Amino acid sequence: MKTKVVLTFSPEASNQPITHNLIAKHHLLVNILRAEIDEVGGKMVLELSGKADDIRGGIDYLKANGVGVRPIKEGVRRDDEACTHCGMCVSICPTKALTMDLKTGKVSFNEDKCVACGVCIDACPPRAMEILI
Amino acid sequence: MTASEFKEYVKANGVKKAAREVDVVTTGTFGAMCSSGAYINFGHADPPIKMQKIWLDGVPAQAGLAAVDGYIGATALDETNNMMHGGAHVIEDLVRGKAVRLRATGHGTDCYPRKEIDTYVSLRTVNQAVLMNVRNAYQNYAVATNSSAKTLYTYMGKLLPEFGNATFSSAGELSPLMNDPYYRTIGIGTRIFLGGTQGYVMWEGTQFNPGAPRTPNGVPKRPAGTLAVIGDLKQMNPEFLKGLTFTRYGSSLGIGIGVPIPILDEDMARCCAVTNNDILAAVFDYSQPTRSRPVLREVSYAELRSGDIDIKGKQVPTSPLSSMYKARQVSEVLKSWILKGEFTIQEPVQSFPKDRPLRTLDVRTEREAT
Ligand code: SF4
Ligand code: SF4
Repeated sequence: MKTKVVLTFSPEASNQPITHNLIAKHHLLVNILRAEIDEVGGKMVLELSGKADDIRGGIDYLKANGVGVRPIKEGVRRDDEACTHCGMCVSICPTKALTMDLKTGKVSFNEDKCVACGVCIDACPPRAMEILI
Repeated sequence: MTASEFKEYVKANGVKKAAREVDVVTTGTFGAMCSSGAYINFGHADPPIKMQKIWLDGVPAQAGLAAVDGYIGATALDETNNMMHGGAHVIEDLVRGKAVRLRATGHGTDCYPRKEIDTYVSLRTVNQAVLMNVRNAYQNYAVATNSSAKTLYTYMGKLLPEFGNATFSSAGELSPLMNDPYYRTIGIGTRIFLGGTQGYVMWEGTQFNPGAPRTPNGVPKRPAGTLAVIGDLKQMNPEFLKGLTFTRYGSSLGIGIGVPIPILDEDMARCCAVTNNDILAAVFDYSQPTRSRPVLREVSYAELRSGDIDIKGKQVPTSPLSSMYKARQVSEVLKSWILKGEFTIQEPVQSFPKDRPLRTLDVRTEREAT
C-alpha cells in the first residue's frame, strides 16, 4: 500500500530522526517528495509504502511526536470555477497530475499524482491552483 | 456550423459541397489579451470635479479626457505593483457586479471646483462602461521556450530552464483570423462575440501586419493581423472575461472573442477548412532579451497540440495558454445565437488595409523622426 502525506512540524519535532524511525521502526519505504525546513519548523511531503498496519503505526508515531499529518488531498486544490482550461500548467507539472484531454481541451487535475511541489501555483494565470500547506 | 464542425464536414464532403451547403462558420478564441481596457463615464458629482487622476480599487486609470471619463487598462498596476489585482481584475470585478472604490483628484476650476472624491461605483451606477481593446485576437503568434539555466516568468507564461517546456498562445484552427487569412469578411463594423455579448470590430488592431510571411495557402507563419474591438461591458459575462496574473510580468485580461465567417464562395470554404496541420508558428528562445530573437524552428499547431515538440533533439512538453475548451464554447454560443436569430451577420463597412508596414521604436533625434 502506498499513501502520500503532508507533514508539518515544529522546530523540536524537526530535530528528531523522523524519516529514519519510519524506515527502521515501522518498516516503511519513504520517498521524500518535498521538504522545507527552517528555524520555525517545516513541511514535508512524503510517500509512504508498506503494509497498511505499518503505515497506520508510522502515522500514529508521527502524531505522537507532535507532527501534523494530513493526506495530500488536502494539500493542493484547484478552484474548478476559476480554471479556464488554458493549459499553462500541463507542461510544467512534473508528475503529470495536470493533463489536457486533447479532444475536449479540458484540463483535469488528478490529486493522486500530485506531490504538492507548488510549481503550478504561480504559473496559473487565473490563480486557480491553491496550495494549503 | 462551428469551425471545428466545418473542418470535419469538409474532410467528409469536400470543399465544393461545403461551400454550397454551409452559410456561416463560427470561430472562437479565449486567451490573455493585454492590449485591452475599458472606458467608463462615472457621471458628474455635486459639486463637480474635473478628474486629473483616477484610481479604481487603487489601480490607476487614465484621465486626461473630459471631466469624468476614464480608461482603465488591463495591465495597469497599483504603486506596489500588485499583480494579483491589476486593471484586468478590476474590470472582472465590475463585470461580476461588484462595487469598486473610485478615488479621483483634480486641480479645481471655476466650473469644476471640487478637488477630490472618494466613493464607490459599479456598472449599475456609471453611465457608459465600454470594453475597448486596441489589439486582440492575433492571427497566429509565437511559441516561447527558454534555453537558459533559470526559470523565466514572461507574458508567455512560466518557462522552465533548459527547454523545460514551451508555450504558445493561438487557438490555431479555431482562431478567427486563421479562417479568414486575407480579411475578406472581417473588417471595420463586423459584428462579433465579445466577452459573452455582441460587440464590433472597430478598426484594424495595432501592430496589424498583413505582410507577415505566409504558407502557400495564405496562412501567416508569424504574428500578422489583429483586431481592435469594442463592446458594452455592462452586458458581458465573467465566464468569458477574466483577470489574469502572469507572475513577475503583470496582469492581463482573458477574453473570449468569436467571429462569424460567411462562406461566400469556394475560396472562403477552402480558407475555413484550414487545420492545425497547415498552420505553422515559429519557436523563439525567450531567454534572449532582444527584439529580434532567432527562430529555433517552425512547428505546426498539430504538433504543438499533441503535448510535446522536438527542440534540438529534446522532447519538450507544450502548453497552449489560450483555452481550447473556452474557444470551443465561444464558437458554440455564437452558433446558437445565429441559429436563434439573435445575432445577424454584419458585412464590414470597410475592409482592412492590404499592406501596412510594421514599424519599430528606436532612439532617434528629432530630425530623424520628422
Ligand atoms: S494553469 Fe490554471 S487555469 Fe490554466 S488549465 Fe491549469 S489550473 Fe486551469
Ligand atoms: S503542486 Fe501542481 S505542479 Fe506540483 S505536482 Fe501538484 S499539480 Fe503538479
